[in-house]
Amino acid sequence: MSPDEDRAPPRFWSALLSRALPPEDRDTFPGELAELYRRRIRREGPGPARRWYRNQVLELGLRRAAKALRGITTNSTGGGGMDGIRRDVGYAIRRMVRSPGFTLVAVLSLALGIGANTAIFSFVDAVLFRPSPVEGRDRLVDLFTRQEGFSHGALSYLDLQDLEDRTTDVFEGLAYYRLGMFPADGDDGSVEMLPAQLVSGNFFTLQGLDAAVGRTLLPEDHVAEGAHPVVVLGEGYWERRFGGDPGVVGRELRISGATLTVVGVVQPEFDGSLRGIVPDLYIPVLQIEALDPTAPDFESRGNQSYFAVARLRDGVGVERARDALVRETERLRSEEPTSWTGDESVILERTADVVVNPMVDRVLVPAMGVLMAVVGVVLLIACANLASFLLARARDRRREIAVRLAVGASRGSLIRQLLTETVVLGLLGGMGGATLGWAAVRWLETADLPLPLPISLGLGLNGSVLAFTAAISLLAGLLFGLAPALQATNPDLASTIKNETTGGPRSRFALRNLLVVGQVAGSLVLLVGAGLLVRSLIARQAVDPGFGGAPAALVEITAGPRAVETGEAAWLDEVEARVADVPGVATVGLTSNLHLNTLNTSTAYVTVDGVAPPPDREWWSVDAADVNDEFFQAMAMETVRGRTFGASDAADGARVLVVNEAFVDRFFPDGDAVGRTVRLGSDGVEHTVVGVVETARIRSLGEAPRPFVYGSLRQDPSTYVHVVARTAGVDARRAALDVSAAIRSVDPDTPIYSQTTMERHLAVVLLPARLGVWMGAAFALLALTLAALGLYGVVSYAVARKSREVGIRMSLGADAGRVVRMLMAEGLRLVAVGGLVGLAAAAGFGALLSRFLYGVGALDPLAFGSTLAVLVAVAVLASWVPARRATRIDPVRALKAD
Amino acid sequence: MPKDVLGEFEHQVLLATLRLKDGAYSTTIVLELERVTGRDVAPAAVYIALRRLEEGGFAASSLRPPPEGGRQRRYFQVTPAGLDLMRESRRRYVALWDGVESVLEPGSP
Repeated sequence: MSPDEDRAPPRFWSALLSRALPPEDRDTFPGELAELYRRRIRREGPGPARRWYRNQVLELGLRRAAKALRGITTNSTGGGGMDGIRRDVGYAIRRMVRSPGFTLVAVLSLALGIGANTAIFSFVDAVLFRPSPVEGRDRLVDLFTRQEGFSHGALSYLDLQDLEDRTTDVFEGLAYYRLGMFPADGDDGSVEMLPAQLVSGNFFTLQGLDAAVGRTLLPEDHVAEGAHPVVVLGEGYWERRFGGDPGVVGRELRISGATLTVVGVVQPEFDGSLRGIVPDLYIPVLQIEALDPTAPDFESRGNQSYFAVARLRDGVGVERARDALVRETERLRSEEPTSWTGDESVILERTADVVVNPMVDRVLVPAMGVLMAVVGVVLLIACANLASFLLARARDRRREIAVRLAVGASRGSLIRQLLTETVVLGLLGGMGGATLGWAAVRWLETADLPLPLPISLGLGLNGSVLAFTAAISLLAGLLFGLAPALQATNPDLASTIKNETTGGPRSRFALRNLLVVGQVAGSLVLLVGAGLLVRSLIARQAVDPGFGGAPAALVEITAGPRAVETGEAAWLDEVEARVADVPGVATVGLTSNLHLNTLNTSTAYVTVDGVAPPPDREWWSVDAADVNDEFFQAMAMETVRGRTFGASDAADGARVLVVNEAFVDRFFPDGDAVGRTVRLGSDGVEHTVVGVVETARIRSLGEAPRPFVYGSLRQDPSTYVHVVARTAGVDARRAALDVSAAIRSVDPDTPIYSQTTMERHLAVVLLPARLGVWMGAAFALLALTLAALGLYGVVSYAVARKSREVGIRMSLGADAGRVVRMLMAEGLRLVAVGGLVGLAAAAGFGALLSRFLYGVGALDPLAFGSTLAVLVAVAVLASWVPARRATRIDPVRALKAD
Repeated sequence: MPKDVLGEFEHQVLLATLRLKDGAYSTTIVLELERVTGRDVAPAAVYIALRRLEEGGFAASSLRPPPEGGRQRRYFQVTPAGLDLMRESRRRYVALWDGVESVLEPGSP
């Protein structure tokens, strides 16, 4: 490094200086300040000169900001009381300008704490508090089916027809809907999958929903199957696709091969019935067969895809409606004994009590609570930090304040002034926090998360989020300012003025210590939480899903018009052959029910001779799929005994099955399944087991081994399949595109529902755990950093108080190591106390988290132990640095200092 | 803040500018103030004060390279309005000092 470069000001700070200056001074002032900087180097050495330079830059920036702020405050003239406040604000700004380092640290740490709260609150607000435009919501109830192991399921179309007719004594009306994803043709030949809500004719009128343009769907649109090919657009889609053009009414859309006429756009406040899923289209439910010819909605009571909402008649209470549903359940059981068995019933919940679905809410609502608690602790730690900084500063200001009290200032006015300072700090932190929070929310909204559905919460900084942020900023300012303000204005005048060097009253130091103990405890709690979540993620990742060990492209399709012409079996054969020709595809598997798909389940009625069905039932309900011959190879699943399907299993030949090991354990306790008979369906068709495969995870990673039956796709062709194209030597994502193209080459109108890779498919299952770890780790790191800063501050403060003693000891030749240890002991004592408190609190927090944990106990010794180790390491460092610096004090300076 | 009242620091900056004649720019003003008052002076504060004085019409600046060559500097001069302001503030101070001398320095006349 040349001497000239060596003497150039620090690059970061000089760049910052240019930004802080108005353009006309950027060529001159930096050079002039650099002259003084070089003089400083000659006088004091490079280290102090750099610090001096940095302070000048910060001071200049703050002074210019303060000037701009003053411009704002002086322009807004207020009444008499405002003058005092304005004076206080002006004074606060001047004081902040005078200590730019402290101001910067304070505003930054508040911004981080408030930013975390803002981001999480905007999420909570979007899910829990967003007002619904639905009219008279307190008179609405949601209907569900209850079943063993499934407390709030959907209903079937046929059941709802019956219920609608027979519950008019308690309900003014009953509307229902189902969700679906449908391919829409774009103007340029592209195809886009759109979330749609298929609704009954009274859906909008029953809930008092209006159209922004045109009309909503009406009972007249619900007359006969396929008779009303109309669609109402969601506001978002209307903006996105048609630029909000009101002339959209009357236009035609090609949806899933059908032509629908736009009749209106729904009011913008309505985001669909299922929070998080914003439909682009609302279509009469009687159009379903035009969109998806294979949908069995109108034939089978077993196809439970519909959710229902009903309005209570005037004077009818929830209890009476419940009784009516008990009555109807009985009636369904006697009329439809095959589908309505002993343990199933229709139940209701108040619509206002449901967020997404009661089953989802059971996890969602506590998760929100935990998140809010976590960011609350982060903010408290930041506040505790600032309070302890201010307590230290209060000591320096005691003389100033004592003098002002002595000349007649009232304690109230001084407290008000001190609080004004912290509130201004809090509000500056709030502005930074709102910016950080907004950035975090933007990131979340645009991040490419592996979600099973197009989830959109419309996160953003709306009025209620900003009000929340402003409120916590104010609260934070008052919270961390109050104790120091009370302490600093403690009217023990005489002793203060007379004797300012011997340290304050004992209690003040005790309060600071208490704050550090609190911080250490708080950050330990968050660290343990993060540790438990990390351990839980590792445990989940260690779970072998039992399939997908090889890379594969996944494409989810349903039969298009061509399949109807040629027959499903021929269409499937053709798809299989074309996909097999795609370069890089080694094996082509097909299945009607992909493992670990989060949206669908498919079950078969199973009876096995010698194994009694569950009570009140005639058969077992077992997860099932129809698969092709190469499916197991494509999924990288092991065959344990017997064989998988082959060409010998002809479409009209003897019916065959492959089962998994869990099935064998359940139904053939002697372990010998191959060659045995299993009956499927309500009519008990005999199938012969030809092979046994390893047990894959079916519905969730954490589940107990689930029995599964694989039927032959050749014997039971399905119109809806997942294509699993195992790849070799090519990028699976790239291959997924080629596979889709190959499928479309069979029939260009084939609806493609999803197109992904095996890796991403498995990532969906791990997403909640991964998100938990990211957030937990981020917040814990933040808390630890703040606590370390606080600890550093406390030890520095203790060192400063003892600098005379240390100076004397050092000049008498004391051993530096011993002095360092003595000084560190003070900080580490606080860490020990905080650590103990924190461990106890963390045990409680672990219990709260336990429902989100997998494969790890709430008191996991590894998580607790490693967390403690991290904390101790950070604490030792945070107290060693200032203690070490103290031993380098020049004894002469130290003795003169006071 | 009324425009015709000088703060103490601004007053000092104007004085230093006058003393330095043609050589007054932020660096020399800082050094002059430090030399005379014996205290650390923040260049940032001097910079802000100079800008305020210029906005108030009490000082004027011009860009030119230093006599020895090199990068341009912003040199400051006190304007006639600035001189009036200083005369006025000196008059006030002197009036205030009147009769105080005997209290501070009891020995002198």
